[in-house]
Amino acid sequence: MTSVLGHLTGLEFDRQYKGWMSCPPGALFEAPVQEDVDKDKKPIADNIRNQAKYSKALFIWTDCDREGEHIGAEVRNQAKAGNARIEVKRASHVLQAAREPVELDEFQANAVAARIELDLRIGAAFTRLQTLQLQAVSAVLKEKVISYGSCQFPTLGFVVDRYLRVQNFKAETFWSIKVMLSREGKKVNFLWKRVHLFDRAAVTMMLERCLMAKQARVTKVNQKPKSKWRPLPLTTVDLQMMGSRFLRLDSQTIMKVAEALYTKGYISYPRTETDQFDKAIDLKKLVEKQFPDNQWGQYAKDLIDGKFRTPRSGRNNDKAHPPIHPVCWVSPSQLNANEKKVYEFVVRRFLACCSDDAKGQGTDIEIQYGEEFFHASGLIVLERNYLDVYVYDKWESSQQLPNFERGEMFEPTEANISEGKTTAPNYLTEPELIGLMDANGIGTDATMAEHIAKIKEREYVVVHPRGSGRSKVEELIPTRLGVALVEGYDNVVAGLPNSISLSKPFLRKEMELRMLEICAGSKSRQEVVQQSLDMYREVFIHTQRRIEMLKAACRKYLNEQPAS
Amino acid sequence: MANAEQIAAQILSTKSLCVSSSWLNTFLASSQRNVPASALTKTALFRVLASDIRQSLATNPTSLFPIDISDPAVQERRIPGPIPVQVLDIEDIGTSLWSQVEAIERVERGEAIRGREIVRTVNVGDDNEGTENESSNNTGAAGAPSASGSSGSGPHRLILQDANGTKAVAIEMQCIEGISLEKLPIGAKILLRNATVARGMVLLNPNCYTLLGGKIEALDKPWKEGRKARLLQRIDSMGSEAN
Repeated sequence: MTSVLGHLTGLEFDRQYKGWMSCPPGALFEAPVQEDVDKDKKPIADNIRNQAKYSKALFIWTDCDREGEHIGAEVRNQAKAGNARIEVKRASHVLQAAREPVELDEFQANAVAARIELDLRIGAAFTRLQTLQLQAVSAVLKEKVISYGSCQFPTLGFVVDRYLRVQNFKAETFWSIKVMLSREGKKVNFLWKRVHLFDRAAVTMMLERCLMAKQARVTKVNQKPKSKWRPLPLTTVDLQMMGSRFLRLDSQTIMKVAEALYTKGYISYPRTETDQFDKAIDLKKLVEKQFPDNQWGQYAKDLIDGKFRTPRSGRNNDKAHPPIHPVCWVSPSQLNANEKKVYEFVVRRFLACCSDDAKGQGTDIEIQYGEEFFHASGLIVLERNYLDVYVYDKWESSQQLPNFERGEMFEPTEANISEGKTTAPNYLTEPELIGLMDANGIGTDATMAEHIAKIKEREYVVVHPRGSGRSKVEELIPTRLGVALVEGYDNVVAGLPNSISLSKPFLRKEMELRMLEICAGSKSRQEVVQQSLDMYREVFIHTQRRIEMLKAACRKYLNEQPAS
Repeated sequence: MANAEQIAAQILSTKSLCVSSSWLNTFLASSQRNVPASALTKTALFRVLASDIRQSLATNPTSLFPIDISDPAVQERRIPGPIPVQVLDIEDIGTSLWSQVEAIERVERGEAIRGREIVRTVNVGDDNEGTENESSNNTGAAGAPSASGSSGSGPHRLILQDANGTKAVAIEMQCIEGISLEKLPIGAKILLRNATVARGMVLLNPNCYTLLGGKIEALDKPWKEGRKARLLQRIDSMGSEAN
């Protein structure tokens, strides 16, 4: 029994290509590469080879995902080097790991190998090209490595895109009709079905026609039970998004803390895409473990005393890991401040999953006034259920509505026009960015936080706080260099038919789809590497040819003094 | 050979359009002889729908807007018609100008937004440059937004013109199928029956509105090409008013 620490080997260019000036950057698309055991992993590799000599079989127990498959293949290669006849099997599923050993999945291991090679070649080629070309443009860049990564740049692209939308935004005035009725000592505000319009004369005319009608007629009275659904079982992406929203920790910190909690045995493995609990897991037992807690122990008891509900099932199952859940109870005194926050979130989320939905009674009233329609709605929360433990969700009763009969006529107390202005979107927050990356196939749940950390570290974006106290959020704002790179690369392909800027998610997404084809066995590793390299090489050639565009963008943003 | 009166009567009875006799004579003079009357009527109608009605339609007082139709002092009046009009402009007044500009720019970049996901609408590997290439979309996304990038929420404000050249603003008070930035071209012909005019605005609803179709190519093309510039210009002029 022994262990590894992530990937054993790294891919590198042959020595003669390692120097920055050793070859034109474009040569890195073809330059020979070799796989070597990382220096700091040498003892681990030696250990595996040695142990293999005295073993008949090797049983690999790495994560059941693509990366795990690749690490497994690395371990196997070392073991075979030590003992060519060793029999190799791997655990197929965490839950029944030892029971059904299977072969390593070569397809998945190959997909990772392809990804590693592509990241190396594309990353190195563009990083060298842009660094060598741009260093001379501005004093600020002189000593700087301007790194490129095929996930990093689309990530930056999202931040810049939002930033420009905020910067370019133009506010506009709109007008709306508000109708109010005083009844039974309550003021009922009816909202306009059209919400608001951008034409004052039209709104004025519409209001006049309401007033001409004098009476409004109740067209709909709908009473219906409403519920607010308990959350789905927790995935990594959700942990990162919710965590940075509610816990005010950045996604990378959250993942570090979650991993520490996992290593100490308090929570399950925090990298998972699964949002459905396997039937085999005894959830009640996990709930019982939370009894000792001062804050939610009683809630957990109530669940076991009859309020327990089987969690909702989401649509995702990575077949490797269950949703993130607490494994056992830990006293808060054992945890540091951040661990406490993340652990509390994981537990509350888990208990919420095992609770009933919140239930209420909703009332919707629609009226017709002249030719216009208005509506008012009310909500009474009857049973809070999961909301009692999941303090992050809010669902409150509204003011109670007076009684209305369908078909009844009434004269509104007030009807008037209100004026408002459109407001700019906010700068991108980290949870939003994770959502965008997830939807656009940039990075995996395991790497998204790293890509975001990377663009901060490279000084392409900075974090600005907005607001204070409980409403404080952290916004991502690109630096001048960040904006310059995105604008530069967009300009490089501007006007070229079907050329895609590196700041957009499309190239990377396509590469990701090809990885899936390797996993499915429909394409070979070589084919995919070649196709993806061709795709990026095209952009590389455009970039070289139109490097002036990139330089001009950097000059524009870095050498001009800010106006303010 | 069909005579002018036959054709005029046919178009009047089927489409309530009163074709000007001088326009019809010019049309007949330029068309081939020995064409059956029915085919000739079809062609004439098609030409009317593609024409500027100031030239092609007769100006009977009952089929024209009142001269003072835009007078905001008149609270409400009814115009029985039927009045044939042509569309000179269409705008979405339920959507801010700026978000319409943003939508057009997304289309220019060949992107569309589906939830949080950005979708490329341009067919990769296709020789088309993109903006015209509205229907192709390599993701196979259902319901991808259309090329003008309009969410189409409305209501719409139209500028309508009668055969005499009198213009009036019209507001889509109830949603009318066929009124949208993508579907209603400039120069399309509409028949108004029993329309209400309030404060100088024609109130459109499905009861008073009949779309006859057609478009004026010479107006429609520059209107489409100039839409973004016009939106930007209006945004700019709004800013200068505020200052």
